[in-house]
Amino acid sequence: MAAYILRRLVSTVAVMAIVGIFIFLLLRLAPGDPAAIIAGRSATEEIIAGIREQLGLNDPMPVQFLRWVRDMLGGDFGTSIFAGRPVLELISQRLEPTLSLSILTMILAVTVGVSFGILAAWRTGGIVDRLLAAFSALGYSVPVFVSGYFLIYFFAIRTHWLPVQGYVPIDSGLGPWFVHLILPTVALSLAYIAFIARVTRASMLEVLSEDYMRTAAAKGASSYAMLFHHALKNAGVPILTVIGISFAYLIGGVVLTETVFNIPGIGRLVVDAINNRDYPIIQSVLILTSGLYVLVNLTIDLAYTLIDPRIRY
Amino acid sequence: MTLLSAPVEAVPMGRLQLSYLPRLARRHPLVLIGGGLLVLLIILALAAPLYAGDPVNIDPFKRLEPPSAEMWFGSDNLGRDVFARTIFGARISLMVGLISAACAAFAGLLIGVIAGYSRSFDNVVMRVMDGLMSIPTILLAIALISLTGPGIGILIVAIAIPETPAVARLVRSVVLSVRERPYVEAALCGGARLPRVLWRHILPSTIPALMVQGATVCASAIMTEAGLSFLGVGVPPEIPSWGNMISSSRLYLAIAPLTIFAPGICLAVTVLAVNLFGDGLRDMFDPRTRRRR
Amino acid sequence: MPISRRNLFKAGIAAGTALSIPSVLRAQTMPTAARTVRMVKEDLRVFDPIWTATNITADHGMAIYDTLFALDSKFKPQPQMVGKWGVSDDKKTYTFELRDGLGWHDGTPVTAADCVASIRRWGQVAPGGQLLMEQARDISKKDDKTFTIALKEPLGLLIDILADLTPPCLFIMREKDASLSATEQVSTRIGSGPFKFNEALLRPGASYTYDRNEQYVPRKEAPDGFAGGKVVKVDRVVWDNISDQQTAFAALQAGEIEFLQHPPVDFFSVIESDPNLELPVLDRTGKDMLLRLNFLQKPFDNVKARQAMLHLIDQEAFMRVMVPDPKYVTTVTSIFGDETLVSNDENTGWYKKGGDPEKARQLFKEAGYAGEKVVILQSTDWAASNNGSQFLAAELRKIGVNAELAPSDWGGLTTRRANKGPVENGGWNMFITSEADYSLGNLLATPLLLANGDKAWYGWPKNDEYEALRAKWASVETLEERKALARKMQGIWWDFVGDVRLGKYIEPIAHRKTITGLIGMPQIVPMWNMQKTSA
Repeated sequence: MAAYILRRLVSTVAVMAIVGIFIFLLLRLAPGDPAAIIAGRSATEEIIAGIREQLGLNDPMPVQFLRWVRDMLGGDFGTSIFAGRPVLELISQRLEPTLSLSILTMILAVTVGVSFGILAAWRTGGIVDRLLAAFSALGYSVPVFVSGYFLIYFFAIRTHWLPVQGYVPIDSGLGPWFVHLILPTVALSLAYIAFIARVTRASMLEVLSEDYMRTAAAKGASSYAMLFHHALKNAGVPILTVIGISFAYLIGGVVLTETVFNIPGIGRLVVDAINNRDYPIIQSVLILTSGLYVLVNLTIDLAYTLIDPRIRY
Repeated sequence: MTLLSAPVEAVPMGRLQLSYLPRLARRHPLVLIGGGLLVLLIILALAAPLYAGDPVNIDPFKRLEPPSAEMWFGSDNLGRDVFARTIFGARISLMVGLISAACAAFAGLLIGVIAGYSRSFDNVVMRVMDGLMSIPTILLAIALISLTGPGIGILIVAIAIPETPAVARLVRSVVLSVRERPYVEAALCGGARLPRVLWRHILPSTIPALMVQGATVCASAIMTEAGLSFLGVGVPPEIPSWGNMISSSRLYLAIAPLTIFAPGICLAVTVLAVNLFGDGLRDMFDPRTRRRR
Repeated sequence: MPISRRNLFKAGIAAGTALSIPSVLRAQTMPTAARTVRMVKEDLRVFDPIWTATNITADHGMAIYDTLFALDSKFKPQPQMVGKWGVSDDKKTYTFELRDGLGWHDGTPVTAADCVASIRRWGQVAPGGQLLMEQARDISKKDDKTFTIALKEPLGLLIDILADLTPPCLFIMREKDASLSATEQVSTRIGSGPFKFNEALLRPGASYTYDRNEQYVPRKEAPDGFAGGKVVKVDRVVWDNISDQQTAFAALQAGEIEFLQHPPVDFFSVIESDPNLELPVLDRTGKDMLLRLNFLQKPFDNVKARQAMLHLIDQEAFMRVMVPDPKYVTTVTSIFGDETLVSNDENTGWYKKGGDPEKARQLFKEAGYAGEKVVILQSTDWAASNNGSQFLAAELRKIGVNAELAPSDWGGLTTRRANKGPVENGGWNMFITSEADYSLGNLLATPLLLANGDKAWYGWPKNDEYEALRAKWASVETLEERKALARKMQGIWWDFVGDVRLGKYIEPIAHRKTITGLIGMPQIVPMWNMQKTSA
């Protein structure tokens, strides 16, 4: 067990090292020069060259890489080339909108998705199951920027029920904050609802077909007790896994959603940074998101071995 | 889009037997519906030059016109025919989707089979795969595309690379379980050479899982292409693609909603078709579903 | 006069807020919504207005820094920080004395040493400043409030150069900031201007906050352009960065913001019909769109091919693609911009209308064009370049030119345009850019009108005859002489076709009617004198 955990940790470090080298190389090999962007549209070449030198972009790549790794291990994620502020500070400023959107999305996706999954598993092949299957197929297939614009058109532009776009910080009032997040949350949740509903249904069916469930049914357990007491409890592990992975994966959808609804979150930060070639921001966001993903995965794997003694590695 | 690949069971699904296909398809209408829709879309896309008009002609004096007999869906902000662009957009979506899925499936298969057989290779390569998987698809793709600037070739590569690890993992797990099977061990003991065993016994058993996963990859590749184009880093703006159309028409949602809805609906329908096809395949190959029915 | 306890209390608060309470607290509690103006401009990515030459950073500079001289609405330089100034009889030594009451936001007074350091730093990068540094024998402070500029030869344009509003403008910074190299960013934001930058409310990429500088002593004259008294009539100005135009416009309609610098062209009619909104033009001089051609590579190394482009381009159609509202668009044929003091019509008759594809096709043939790839650099994150390049490619293909778009974001474009090699090695043939019409009238402000080959701006046009004339520009004494010189230069320019003009665009801004007193000048939107009335 301890050996397994150790091995898992080592491989996690290896993965992160690979990711780090990969991200660094990717960015430095890409053409595009932050110095030229800083200098402005009609700047001359000498001025641009001067700025490049000052930013340390002329140093050899290994030097830049080692400097980056050293600083990062010391908790210093660098300074934005443009804003001249620490990257961590910029990220923390953008964290609130992204977290708000992510958390609301997960709440909606989990409650609706799990309920749909249970409903569908309750009467397999029934009308409810079929309707939910159709909904889930659709939810799975509509990209967030398509559903987003449909929602905006019908619920904001035509009816004026909800704001078109934008974000209001939570300390400016819970009401406006929530109202601005309704459409983005719904748009982003669709795919996750579909996903979680599917997994829930599949795991529930798996459990329901186990022998002990048949026994319970034969003994006359109510269908309520069957579903919630026995089945859901046992189906919980895969469902939790999926929720964990979804959360770690949310950032991709967040990039698009923040663009559609103009939410000043991490997604916008990194897309703008890529346009500006603001390397420290791009590197840090990529390394942090992939770190989060790896961490979630690690936690899930370790939790597995603790929860379910049958799992051996 | 974030690519939540729908769970595909990593169990080997038995060998595909072609003679069962028609009967299975009748039992699994999703394959027919999804596949049929997909074939129809492909035909419509291929025949586009015959009926759809010119998708790239710019007419600065005919901007944002409402639908008319001449231009069924009206014109966009550069005076281009929205109907023609929507139809031609299907070509890009399907092409990018299918080719990147094929690339990812092939690369994943190669890596997965070798990883499933070679312990040392496995350790290194699967860590790289883990690393790739941990970077959000869309961000990884954007970073890859910034290497060369927008273009179809780099786009396909940028979509295929983040999709490869999932395929590789799946194939690897199938290989790992198949190689313990008695008939494989028997073949090896009987003196058959490894490549031959791989080719004859192991490869075929990965095909069902690969097809199901391929459909998932294809659907998400189509969505990723559209998403990247929507963010302005996908297909070059000149080429009509659904993501491009939505991106360049964002401003006109209130004035000319069709400029966004037409490509949006087509995109959703296409992805739906691929997903239904994939779901159908999954049901068809999954021994447990077969047992239940 | 007896002082009541209440007044004493008030005085104490006033003194306390000014001296002891940290500016953070004061800033967060004082201004009310009624005295706060919210504007949407572009994203202020960089804060140092010398390090970067973008307009938005110049706007920021104009808010927090002050200038020695300033242009009035007739573009004549007037003293701003300078109180008295004079020039010696041999016209080679200028003496400047700062006016009273100038102080930095950190409480220290502005000194002549600050000015000297600022001039030197700006002189490293601004084209006019570089000329000044070449001509200067000595720039030094005499006492705390006086400094001199001693020249090798008389420089009639000196004051115009100091007052020029083409970024990077000569903003006066503290000596310790200005002693950095011009290629290194100043990291503090302390100026002596009419606004103070609110550090506590800074959200890079999201919002930037400016508070009225209570200590600022404006000049007595009425405001006129950037000259005259800079009296701030609001407590606070916030720049919100809303990158999506649709959202920004919705926010303006809803009254969440009061000022939108770049309203979407297709919404002009909606703005005009909205009783709460106005659509005035602040910058009457506008922006010229230009097409740069690469002189070093085929086919545009041949003058015939460049002439072909002049015949091909139909400015009206191009501007319709780039800026769809004809009301705000004009054609432009003078290399010095459409409405500057030296604009003229020399040597423009022969191609004037453009839009002649047959003539263009023939000229390409005469240039020996044989179907080589012609690469157009297209910036996908700048709508005018994105759309204009697509149209350009379509027009070129119609006359049999093998045009190929090379799309990238502006960042990618800046790398590729520096490549002087052939297109097979990652070079290029043309790209669209823009320059303020006003700046094109001032050879000392824009690098776009150089024709000295390798040293010229991207495209590297080369013409020795033209360069010989350009060398005389700074020493010409009167406007009449300069106009005559400009005509000669333009005559040559259009013969060798240094670039191609696509048209001029005058961009209106949109604001709510509650905002009054906006000052209309090119390039920069000053925020003093602006008022906000209730509803």
